[in-house]
Amino acid sequence: MNRPKTGGVSRRKFLAGMGAVAAGLKFAPSSVLAAEEKKLNFYNWDTYIGETTLDDFNAASGVEVSMDLFADNDELFAKLKGGNPGYDVIVPTNDFVERMITAGMLMPLDHALIPNIANIDPTFRDAAFDPGRKYSLPYMWGTIGIGYRKSKIDGVPDDWKWVLDSDRYAGKIALMGDGTTMIQMTMKYLGYPLNETDPAKIKQAEAVLIKQKPYVKVFAEDNGQDLLLSGEVDICMEWNGDILQVMEEDDDIGYVVPKQGGLLWQDCLCIPTGAPHPENAHAFINFLLDPEAGAAIADFIQYATPNMAAKKLLSAEYNSNPAIFPPQETIERCEVATYNGAEYTREVDEAWTRIMAS
Amino acid sequence: MESWRRNPLTFWVFALPPSLWLAVFFLAPLALVWMMSFGEKVGLIDIVISWRPDNYLRAMDPLYLQIFLKSFWFAGLTTAVCLVMGFLVAVAITFAPPRRRPLLLLLVMLPFWTNLLIRTYALIAVFRTKGLVNFGLEQMWEWSQSVLQGVGLGDLGLLGPEFEPLQLLYNNFAVVAGLVYVHLPFMVLPLYAALDRMDRSFIEASLDLGAGHIRTFFSVVIPLAMPGIVSGIIITFVPALGSFLTPDLLGGTDSQMIANVIERQFKSANDWPFGAALSFILMYVTFIAIALRSLWAGRARRGSAA
Amino acid sequence: MSRRAPPGPLDYGRRLWLRFSLWATFLFLYAPILMLVAFSFNDSRRNIVWRGFTLKYYEKAWNNDSLIEAFTNSLTIALVSTVASVILGMMTAVLLWRFRFPGKAPYEGAMSLPIIIPEICMGVAMMAFFARIGWPANLPWPLNLGAITIAHISFSFPFVAMVVRARLARFNPELEEAARDLGASQWQSFRDVLLPYMRPGLVAGGLLAFTLSLDDFVITFFTSGPETVTFPVKVYSMIRFSVTPEVNAASTVLIAITLFLTTIALWLQNRAQSS
Repeated sequence: MNRPKTGGVSRRKFLAGMGAVAAGLKFAPSSVLAAEEKKLNFYNWDTYIGETTLDDFNAASGVEVSMDLFADNDELFAKLKGGNPGYDVIVPTNDFVERMITAGMLMPLDHALIPNIANIDPTFRDAAFDPGRKYSLPYMWGTIGIGYRKSKIDGVPDDWKWVLDSDRYAGKIALMGDGTTMIQMTMKYLGYPLNETDPAKIKQAEAVLIKQKPYVKVFAEDNGQDLLLSGEVDICMEWNGDILQVMEEDDDIGYVVPKQGGLLWQDCLCIPTGAPHPENAHAFINFLLDPEAGAAIADFIQYATPNMAAKKLLSAEYNSNPAIFPPQETIERCEVATYNGAEYTREVDEAWTRIMAS
Repeated sequence: MESWRRNPLTFWVFALPPSLWLAVFFLAPLALVWMMSFGEKVGLIDIVISWRPDNYLRAMDPLYLQIFLKSFWFAGLTTAVCLVMGFLVAVAITFAPPRRRPLLLLLVMLPFWTNLLIRTYALIAVFRTKGLVNFGLEQMWEWSQSVLQGVGLGDLGLLGPEFEPLQLLYNNFAVVAGLVYVHLPFMVLPLYAALDRMDRSFIEASLDLGAGHIRTFFSVVIPLAMPGIVSGIIITFVPALGSFLTPDLLGGTDSQMIANVIERQFKSANDWPFGAALSFILMYVTFIAIALRSLWAGRARRGSAA
Repeated sequence: MSRRAPPGPLDYGRRLWLRFSLWATFLFLYAPILMLVAFSFNDSRRNIVWRGFTLKYYEKAWNNDSLIEAFTNSLTIALVSTVASVILGMMTAVLLWRFRFPGKAPYEGAMSLPIIIPEICMGVAMMAFFARIGWPANLPWPLNLGAITIAHISFSFPFVAMVVRARLARFNPELEEAARDLGASQWQSFRDVLLPYMRPGLVAGGLLAFTLSLDDFVITFFTSGPETVTFPVKVYSMIRFSVTPEVNAASTVLIAITLFLTTIALWLQNRAQSS
């Protein structure tokens, strides 16, 4: 794999950018303190940044980044709910961006400080969950689909039926441990919209899952890929990035987004309210959207980048990998999860409690 | 036991620091959550304390009661297994040569200085279909098969056509095994502390008077070790009741415990008041059990004094 | 006594079934740990298939500054919390063992609350509490560990109290009275009679407190901020995606360090006893 070199050019380019930033700041409202300490607290997912990205940013800007990790969006939300304990940049997924905007937990971004927005694919420059991208910029995106062991599965399991409504692979199926996602994927299987909130249909999805439960080995806590690799299960519902990582180790593993379509997710860069270093945060977000920095990240973590300029720098192998970039017609059938309100959250949670208890 | 009035200075010296600490750094935070359990959420973040018991009423739904029962069953089974294993280990350590005792005690504790999650994942590596246990069993199966072959019985298929790995993970067995693995030292330590200074002449006397080892064990050793047993049971049972990582990682599709539901309320369901109410129900139950015990112990003490 | 002599009536330590159960327990406890250590040398990004020997994950863990930092934080917190918990727990145990006072039963109940509370509930309580009183967030190290340490002491010291109290229950109070009759002051009788008697309980309680603190994830998670990540919190976020040998390597080092330190402690103790 050709790893793009993060060389002096981008640094110089970046410094120029920083100059622009500094120039812009002189006229910025006085809320930005004159001398912000050269520090930044980045709250990220694990293995979700390039190997040298933080050092490169430090070399370019002198800002020292300390990165802290969260395991899921719920954790991120719970942690920031009581007040921001000091994070500057966070990486929530689209539905949580929406939640956090609704709750006033995000700071509006100053697009003038992030000239690299120009690198972003136009389709990502606006989003239903954040109209005008006032609070969030895209970092990576992907899908939820089916990971499977080719030698144990007949053909390509491109139908949710194989994991949600069939005893064909009984005892060798892993589903996901997150109730909301499970209900949403079942909705896709039933032919309803992903974000269907009708209680009767939630009930219907619940019944499907209860019926399928005897054939399911485990509702995996984000480790379906490990179960697949160790031979514990032969077919599982998982995030594409997780399956991609085990595909590198085992040629016998494949990934497919079923024909009914799946979930399309987008992790975003945001600044939480009360961030101690907003100025550095803007510079950092701009740096992550830089073509070379972005390419280095995408190449290392193997997720789909919305950064057009970065994509151009990456290998054909990356750009044509169907597990990273599913075919256009599949993407069209996928949907984005939205924040569907407290009533929905409660109903889904109760349905999930019943499914697990039955 | 003396009345505190006889020695007020000593009493306050011992009473003040822990009491103050408990009041400020435990009871005050707890009170916040207790109030929350009578609240309702408004919007995404705000919680209004309305002092209505709605959350408790919701928890009385048979759905949640059933999960409570299941959790008690898991925790009880775990405690029973820990008690038997822990007693054997504690006795073995107590009667080991004195120089070796600290080392043995340390060996019991050592695995627990490894992070709980890492240990749980290590347990997965041992239990899984292609894990250590099944690997060992498969070796044994092959070995026995070749022995059978050697004596001319190989073709009868006495051991089945091929090795069937045991399904040790992702079921209720795995949850109890995992809970025992995690909580065993909590049982061993208080048992050892109680057994260590036990006056051995009692045992000798019992044996001299003609009681067998088993009878001596049940009528002398156990009563003497009772305080240790009781604290061991409490500090094993209660955390086991509140575990959520173990059922999460080792459990199957029906191994949900109440703490999993509680955890979800604080995370994905984002319903802190209901989570607080569920936690407090768990606490009320345990609290009542402990209060009854100390009441009973107090009465027994008074009874024997009279 | 010769090794060949039949076990005496009290020589349970040499009875086969007891030894067997001890070794079986150790096997149960250590098989996973051995797997963990073995896989730290595995040349694969995951702990599933053995792909050859390597030391690179040790190098990687060693160069992972944030892991080392988390490590240091965890040990610092555990040490402070253990010392404080042993002192507070010992006081509680003596108080409950020695004195009769009005409201003792509810007091005992309140003391056992930190033991019986679901961890997540306490975590949320602590987070809400520190947010409410406006605990300063940007203190220099090690003061920034204050909130976590306080939370750890709160849930550890009742455990210590419980273990010490189990020990005290068998103490003959006449011993202390005798000491005082012989002219020892309150303090002297405490120091020379009660304290030595409690020592095994204090050691056991201290070990328990140390373990609880070092291993706690849930409560720490809710009280930690960006600069106060502890080892379990760090590991948790690393492990949720996949268990890499790097985590195994770090844990192996942690086990080795504890093993080393405790061996020294044991050796010192043995030397003190034999001299």
